[in-house]
Amino acid sequence: MHDAQRETQDAAPRETSVAASPTVPRGHAIVITSGKGGVGKTTTTANVGAALAARGAKVALVDADVGLRNLDIVLGLESRVRYHLLDVIEGKVSLEDALIRDKRSPNMSLLAASQTREKDDVDTNKMRALIEQLRESFDWVLIDCPAGIEAGFRNAVVGAQSAIVVCTPEVSSVRDADRVVGLLPQSLEPKLIVNRIRPHLVRRGKMLSVEDVNAILRLPLLGIVADEPEVVMATNRGEPIALDQRSQTGASYRSIAARIVGENVPVERPRMGFFARISALFGGR
Amino acid sequence: MSGRRIVVTSGKGGVGKTTTTANLGAALAKRGRKVALVDADIGLRNLDLVLGVEKRIVFDLVEVVEGRCQIRQALIRDKRIENLWILPAAQTRDKDSITEAQFLRLTTDLAEFHDFVIIDCPAGIEHGFRNAVAGSQEAIVVTTPEVSAIRDADRVIGKIHERKMPMRLVINRIRPDMVKSGEMMSVEDVCEILSAELLGIVPDDEEVIDTTNRGEPIVLDSTKRLAAIYDKMARRLEGEIVEFTRLEEPSLFNRIIAGWRG
Repeated sequence: MHDAQRETQDAAPRETSVAASPTVPRGHAIVITSGKGGVGKTTTTANVGAALAARGAKVALVDADVGLRNLDIVLGLESRVRYHLLDVIEGKVSLEDALIRDKRSPNMSLLAASQTREKDDVDTNKMRALIEQLRESFDWVLIDCPAGIEAGFRNAVVGAQSAIVVCTPEVSSVRDADRVVGLLPQSLEPKLIVNRIRPHLVRRGKMLSVEDVNAILRLPLLGIVADEPEVVMATNRGEPIALDQRSQTGASYRSIAARIVGENVPVERPRMGFFARISALFGGR
Repeated sequence: MSGRRIVVTSGKGGVGKTTTTANLGAALAKRGRKVALVDADIGLRNLDLVLGVEKRIVFDLVEVVEGRCQIRQALIRDKRIENLWILPAAQTRDKDSITEAQFLRLTTDLAEFHDFVIIDCPAGIEHGFRNAVAGSQEAIVVTTPEVSAIRDADRVIGKIHERKMPMRLVINRIRPDMVKSGEMMSVEDVCEILSAELLGIVPDDEEVIDTTNRGEPIVLDSTKRLAAIYDKMARRLEGEIVEFTRLEEPSLFNRIIAGWRG
């Protein structure tokens, strides 16, 4: 009961941004969720985190996908994982010992998930306490939610003050996102990132547009990210594209971070890349 | 009659389980087999959308299990392909509403009057996964050539081995041009990491998104190259030895682009 009250107070001074101003002494926890898997939750978590850290904020990334973790791979930190979330929850190691500092963003740390355990092993109350604890030393705590709406989803959501819903322009993704929005506590005020838009396909009527997606979901739009091979390539190298100053996709993530901290930046639409425009002329790709 | 009960699973979400289930099922049905597709993703169902039957759902899987309707009342017949039936998942319930024993009973009942019962497993390895696997005798693991998908597939394969179930692999969304330029793992790499027998290789095809959004499995259009690929997969599943389609060399245009992109 007390928790619920305090969360409402924390969430109160909010306008268009996901959170209150970062000058509030305690950090803010955001869960990144989607319902459907494979739509880009982990990539979003890593890139938004890196973009926030590049602005000077202290960021903790939490992989809540116990049993099927992947955030460590996306950050290129898999060989440094020694302890994980369940070790901390079960009191085997301290939080400080389990946090892994990112290679590129010294302000950013990862709390990895356990690979050999099950999501049912996580105690919901302890998970809430862990996120509270992280909020004491970090400005932003980003929680990478597992796919689905089972125990793993509930544990990922429990400590968050706000939510980002990631959705791709596919009917199945939209339907699952809609279901997740219905399950999220209203106090989390979910915001939408439409991921993997291919402008040339939208223009040919072969892909849902951002408007189509949001006609169903009706959420405040936090950002639009294009489907560019450079994202996959950057991920394979373990380097978030958000840190690439020349990349348009990187810029999309940086502007999402700006909106999260409360800057009034309009949502920009991805332009068709040069090559996409040429291939569109040939009717291909 | 007792048909084969096969689960299509992956660990990671979004790698193409539902698309594989729909197309492989449709390919088997086109070959004259009686096929039941079961959506085990209770709460986040999607198989009905991919097959375009979402408006025809009257009863769902949970209602069958709870005895509120007959199994035949809940099965939806595909209007385009004879012998193809879909048992939709409940959207408003959660995966804990069904036990492993109930799921096994359900799929066994379906196998009485179908040659194939293909179960579309939810992402993850939680309760929904355990249900889907409990109802199956064999497994198809779908993965994409990405490190995260392969790691999750490896975890799932371990769980399937524990149950001593036969298992085969489908590698989805291969891009031959990216494999060639070293930006994507090859089929051989993936098979070696997972040490699994291959059932199919499916190239990445932009058209799949569109056909899926329209609720038309790509197998329906036999002029599509993916239709032939799923047909071969179906034949392999039935024990035929079928050569794997050589994924075409990238077009000159794509190679030029790949070169420019460097």
